[in-house]
Amino acid sequence: MKKLFSAVLAGAVLAGSLAGCGQSADRELNLFTWVGMFPDEVLADFTAETGIKVNYSNFDTDESMLQKLSQAEGGDYDLIIADDYIIQTAIEQGLVAKLDKSKLENIGNVNPVYQGQFYDPTDEYTVPYGAGVQTIVYNPAMVDKEITGYADLWDSALADNLAVVGNYRVINGMALKVMGESYNTEDPAVIAEAGEKLLELAPNIRLIKDSNTQDDLISGEVGAAVMYTSQVTLAMMADPSLKVVFPSEGIGLGIMAQFIPVNAPHSDEAHEFIDYILRPEVAKECFQYIGYYCTNQAADALIDEEFRSFLTLPEDFDAASTEMIQPISAEAEEAHVQAWTEFKNACGQ
Amino acid sequence: MKNTRRGLWLTLLPMYLFTLVFVAGPLVYMVVLSFLQRDESWGVTANFTLQNYTQIFQPVYLQTFADSLGLALLSTALIVLVGYPFGYFMARLSARGKKRMMLALMIPFWTSSLIRLYGWIIIFRANGPLDQLLMGLHITSEPLRLLYTYPAVVVGMVYALVQFMIFAVYSSAEKMDWSLVEAARDLGASPFTAFCTVTLKMTLPGLLSGVILTFIPSMGLFFIADILGGNTVVLVGSLIEDQLVKAHNTPFAAALSVVLMLMTTAMIAFYRKVSDVKELEGLL
Amino acid sequence: MKKGRFRFSYLYMGLVLAIMYLPILLTVIYSFNESRISSVWGGFSLTWYRQLFRDEEMFHALWNSIVLAVCSCLLAAVLGTLGAFGMTRVKSRLNGPMEYLSTLPIMIPEIILGMVFLAFFGLLGLPFGMLTLILAHTAFCVPYIFMLVKARLVGMDPSLAEAARDLGAGEVRVFFDITLPLIAPAIASGMLLSFAMSFDDVIISIFVTGVNVNTLPIRVYTQLKTGVTPEINALCTLMLAGTVLLVALSVWIGREKKHAPKL
Repeated sequence: MKKLFSAVLAGAVLAGSLAGCGQSADRELNLFTWVGMFPDEVLADFTAETGIKVNYSNFDTDESMLQKLSQAEGGDYDLIIADDYIIQTAIEQGLVAKLDKSKLENIGNVNPVYQGQFYDPTDEYTVPYGAGVQTIVYNPAMVDKEITGYADLWDSALADNLAVVGNYRVINGMALKVMGESYNTEDPAVIAEAGEKLLELAPNIRLIKDSNTQDDLISGEVGAAVMYTSQVTLAMMADPSLKVVFPSEGIGLGIMAQFIPVNAPHSDEAHEFIDYILRPEVAKECFQYIGYYCTNQAADALIDEEFRSFLTLPEDFDAASTEMIQPISAEAEEAHVQAWTEFKNACGQ
Repeated sequence: MKNTRRGLWLTLLPMYLFTLVFVAGPLVYMVVLSFLQRDESWGVTANFTLQNYTQIFQPVYLQTFADSLGLALLSTALIVLVGYPFGYFMARLSARGKKRMMLALMIPFWTSSLIRLYGWIIIFRANGPLDQLLMGLHITSEPLRLLYTYPAVVVGMVYALVQFMIFAVYSSAEKMDWSLVEAARDLGASPFTAFCTVTLKMTLPGLLSGVILTFIPSMGLFFIADILGGNTVVLVGSLIEDQLVKAHNTPFAAALSVVLMLMTTAMIAFYRKVSDVKELEGLL
Repeated sequence: MKKGRFRFSYLYMGLVLAIMYLPILLTVIYSFNESRISSVWGGFSLTWYRQLFRDEEMFHALWNSIVLAVCSCLLAAVLGTLGAFGMTRVKSRLNGPMEYLSTLPIMIPEIILGMVFLAFFGLLGLPFGMLTLILAHTAFCVPYIFMLVKARLVGMDPSLAEAARDLGAGEVRVFFDITLPLIAPAIASGMLLSFAMSFDDVIISIFVTGVNVNTLPIRVYTQLKTGVTPEINALCTLMLAGTVLLVALSVWIGREKKHAPKL
């Protein structure tokens, strides 16, 4: 009986490991990113053109990505797309390989606004793939007030009617911005003060959520929301009567970028993939699919009219008014978490 | 005889080994982590500190523990109210009825719990099915806006955990000798007295294990607070997740986990003492 | 009087069951929703089913989940059953603490388990993937089987086994001929429960999985994060249909044999 069990078990494990490894095609690429970052057609076309099989696996948060990558000691994966701040950490930990620019013919297509940022000041390691700005979206039919900046969110007209994303750096950052401070201040006293300010916002908060907030805006669950770009795009596509506000206090910018781990088993294939995605016509398909700001200057002109206002930066966009959220000291981080926990506790009251 | 004994020890060996390596090992590691200092940006440094534990005593974190306990108590009370009669009634069904009822209860169990919770979102939405029904019946005149409120979280908790209570009570009640209740009635006890003196007493182990099996998870089921509470109801579970995933403060998360585990252990010990039963009865 | 009470109990159970099935019913209904947004009804459509059948990744994930659930529930069945059997037969001071330890995985929040498994497997240098998933899932499946089997063994009439021993049967023989058939229903229900738990687990899996090994719940959860499409509802509906079919089949087979397998 026991033998039978172990035989079955061995068989099942074997089947599992086979299923796990997939077919051993000659050339393959282990792509590691969130779900839904590429349209299926783009991946299929890439495989058809180059013969490289794409193994697409997912993580749910940047942090779990980094944990996985450091467990794998910078191996296993060939190409990763993640958020700016985590890439900085990954680079610091020596997990990221320098790009071989000679293999990237189309590198000149990248919009310079998104280059030379804090996480990779000399653009040696990364190629941006989509950018987001934190914007306020509101439904004029449900909110009796014109919103122009973060400060307006404190108005009592929004009582129990506001949704925000669940990222404390972004939300505490709103309070910091209203106070005229930087997102990246490391002074615990200032952060604590922002926390106090945030407690006054609590009565207006109905919802703290990172995903699908657009559904709540569209269905009338909330009247206004602080959201990420892809959600803004979805919301505006579904209901054009909504209003998008670039906060007057300044704009928080986030960039997603592609990088190749230092021990990537298929580095050549990864370069080929990056270069393929940099082609303007391919990039256009990708950005229209993911709904983030197009980081490919050459693709801007190709973006369909209906998407243009969401995916390309406005003419009068002032790159100087943006600030990126950067890693800060552990002490400052701790102050943020505490302010955030107090804020969440207050929201539930 | 000695041989037999050795043979019997061999049957224990696999589970002992597995438990020691893959349960005790990780947990000991967690306790160790909880006494270490967090690194500047990521990971931990090998410096001993008690700071993670003293940090828990800040009012904001104590508040979270208190709120978690409150929610768990309320949910468990409701689960008892809903689940106890169900398990009791179920035990009185015919053999065939029991089997069918068991199936009926297991099928939702096999459906993804995430998806089931999303079903509740559809129900609770402003102008969703519930609002339409209530407004159609002229019970309410405008949307209730139930989604992302405390009651919605409580409903989610009860929904996710009530089966454990039902199964626990059922397995106790099923073993019960019904003739005792009849004897009590024959001796002139009112149905209520008979219930209190006989039925309740005999189903108590099931009831208590049901309480344990629902109370403990309800402190940690943070995704219910996320999905139905819009994240504005903070549980210890969400706090641990925040610390771990967002703040990268593994040692503090470990310390919170150790405290939560100690609370759990204390509860189980208390349960054993009160019920004088060694087994957590009737998981199913 | 008695009749009246019974009617009330039926009504009560019916009502609770109805509420239990309501969210599932809505999931099924909304899987036929044309609209991408879950809050808006856009008319009847099979779009999401078509999309689902083109989604190779999803079926890959489904396969992984099945392999994982089968392996870990079998492994847990062996460990848990032997452990429960040994523990009722061998009196040892170790039993109490070991029992506590082995049931801990279902007593502590999943997020803690996920975290410690990740840290610990990393410490041991195990390759993340199906192996680590199976180990982690086995750890939280063992308690279900152990507790159920042990409860069954404790409640069992010892005279049967003793009689067999008196008649000269060896321990092994007694175990397979007497004990095992008696505890089989408990093992079976423990395995079913373990299978369901493993098949549904998100939090622990996300922590301990590796390259190329997505399980179905991970796939669903990550998709919920980036934007749900009713494709998930469609998948859920199909799985529900599968479950009901399996259950109906087992009941039907049970009826044929005159003794239904006890769940």
